[in-house]
Amino acid sequence: MSKPKVGIFGFTGCGGCQLEILNLEDQLLDLVAAIDLVHFTEAITEHSDNYDIALVEGAITTRHGVERIEKIGKIAKIIVAIGSCAVNGGLNCLKNLYGTAKAKELVYGDKKDWIDSIDVKPVDAYVKVDYYARGCPPNRFEIVDIIRSLIVGRKPEIPNYPVCVECKRNGNTCVFELGMTCLGPVTRAGCNSRCPNSGSGCDGCRGLIDEPNVNAQKDLLKKYGLTVEDMVDRFNLYNACREKNIAEKVTGGN
Amino acid sequence: MLYKVLEKNGYRDFVKSLISGFEFIGPVKKDRAVHDFKVIKDFKELDTAYIRTTIPPAKKILFPPDEELVCYEIGENIDVKPVVESGEKILFAINAWDINGMNFLDRVFTTDFIDDNYKAKRDKLIVIGMDTEPAETNFSPSVGAEFATGGFDLYMHDIGDRYFIRVATARGDGLLKRYAVVKDAERNDFKEYDRYMDNYRGRFKLDVDIKSFYDDFEVIYDKKEFWENAAKDCYSCGSCNLVCPTCFCFNVKDDMELNLKKGEKTREWDSCMIPDYGLVAGGHNFRPTKENRLKQRYRCKLKTFKEKYDRYACVGCGRCIEACLANINIAEDINSVKKEVSA
Repeated sequence: MSKPKVGIFGFTGCGGCQLEILNLEDQLLDLVAAIDLVHFTEAITEHSDNYDIALVEGAITTRHGVERIEKIGKIAKIIVAIGSCAVNGGLNCLKNLYGTAKAKELVYGDKKDWIDSIDVKPVDAYVKVDYYARGCPPNRFEIVDIIRSLIVGRKPEIPNYPVCVECKRNGNTCVFELGMTCLGPVTRAGCNSRCPNSGSGCDGCRGLIDEPNVNAQKDLLKKYGLTVEDMVDRFNLYNACREKNIAEKVTGGN
Repeated sequence: MLYKVLEKNGYRDFVKSLISGFEFIGPVKKDRAVHDFKVIKDFKELDTAYIRTTIPPAKKILFPPDEELVCYEIGENIDVKPVVESGEKILFAINAWDINGMNFLDRVFTTDFIDDNYKAKRDKLIVIGMDTEPAETNFSPSVGAEFATGGFDLYMHDIGDRYFIRVATARGDGLLKRYAVVKDAERNDFKEYDRYMDNYRGRFKLDVDIKSFYDDFEVIYDKKEFWENAAKDCYSCGSCNLVCPTCFCFNVKDDMELNLKKGEKTREWDSCMIPDYGLVAGGHNFRPTKENRLKQRYRCKLKTFKEKYDRYACVGCGRCIEACLANINIAEDINSVKKEVSA
């Protein structure tokens, strides 16, 4: 595929993922030279409905959003979900924990019926997603790697190992030893252990690895004197949509 | 080997002149749990009284976590250049088991195939050893790694009011001649040194029955329950490999610039405990389960290289025991083999 037509679209989220693309700075000119950019919500006013690759940011939280993503699904040959909201639903999923009706009432009171708001779902609940650039925000270099891989026709290398690998490569002291909790052992790497590098635990924004060892969590909780609630809250922050029985999982069934 | 003695009051000047004369890498207190080996510019940063470092010093200096191997440019022709970076450095206050870890890496990277990147760094690394207090998880004497017989230029033993220095290379001797006031060790110094070593060896508390593991490995090999039990809590996170002074596996990645004209090949530390390690083209995985992977790791450490190089690929430093969030303990597992076999 040479010079693919690319659209970058935003749904419900903070817009930070699109900003990460703009933050590429040194590589931005090379990026726009390598692709034919036809839509970029946050950066350009031009728009065309003719594109091969759609980079999609944000979760789907409105009926209007469903229509838009379904249209993108019909046009794009390849869809890349970028960022935790598009990939897993992200923070938006905390709404689902309340129940959408209750959340609407809490926020909008008697005007709640004016608001188009449905249960939060990630992008792949509506259209087939080919690649995932996970994280909050996503690693902009991983987004570049995915685009480059698509151009040269090879499979992007997305890590299927936990954050611990990157933490160790970076020589970090384990944050458990520093008295904090961390979802690193079950969270997919690719962020270059961003949070532990600056001394805080992983919040799991890139979602779980393919085979997380949830049984080991129970002993871990015990070893470091943590409560089940600690862990469940941590998991729910980014993974509430994706991991329905998270409490059961992180406590090994107890 | 030459034997010299440096009085304690000459230590500070000696180290200070090394710091000002060389790129000097030594232990620095990092946080409440560990020390780290860093470039030191000021004598005050140096803290040789360390017990633990997360990443073995020699591994990160000689075999960095990310290392560019080759750069290329695609024009009319494809221009490929090897990238070999090295410079003279002093590695100061590395302990015996970490030197032995480095000696193991020497075998791996310079025996069947000479790894230019590794060798260039190794040749230019001036190594000055020093004993450190063993952690509770350390079982170096069981694998014969608590004492280094080579792989360093100088080794300084703190025998009270003076250092007993073993001089292993002409380069080390040259350093002492130029930067320190030393005298030849005499009878009394040797006696003091022997007494010191007896005492030092006695400070290692953990003993593992490594021979029995080696002898009984084939018996235990097919005992599925043993491995399932040993690996049941494994996160497959690779921490044990990545903090290991002897683990040498790496993955090579291609980083091409977006203009598709230039790029580089880099290697990064890999781990046999992560699922994709055994995954090959076509989707087959040679070691799909964590039991497979743990068994492979133990075999590599305690069997394969003992047969190949007559030394264990384990120096008993205990880092993997401390790094494992799932409490997988190589020392306990080794000791449990005998019980399992005789049961």
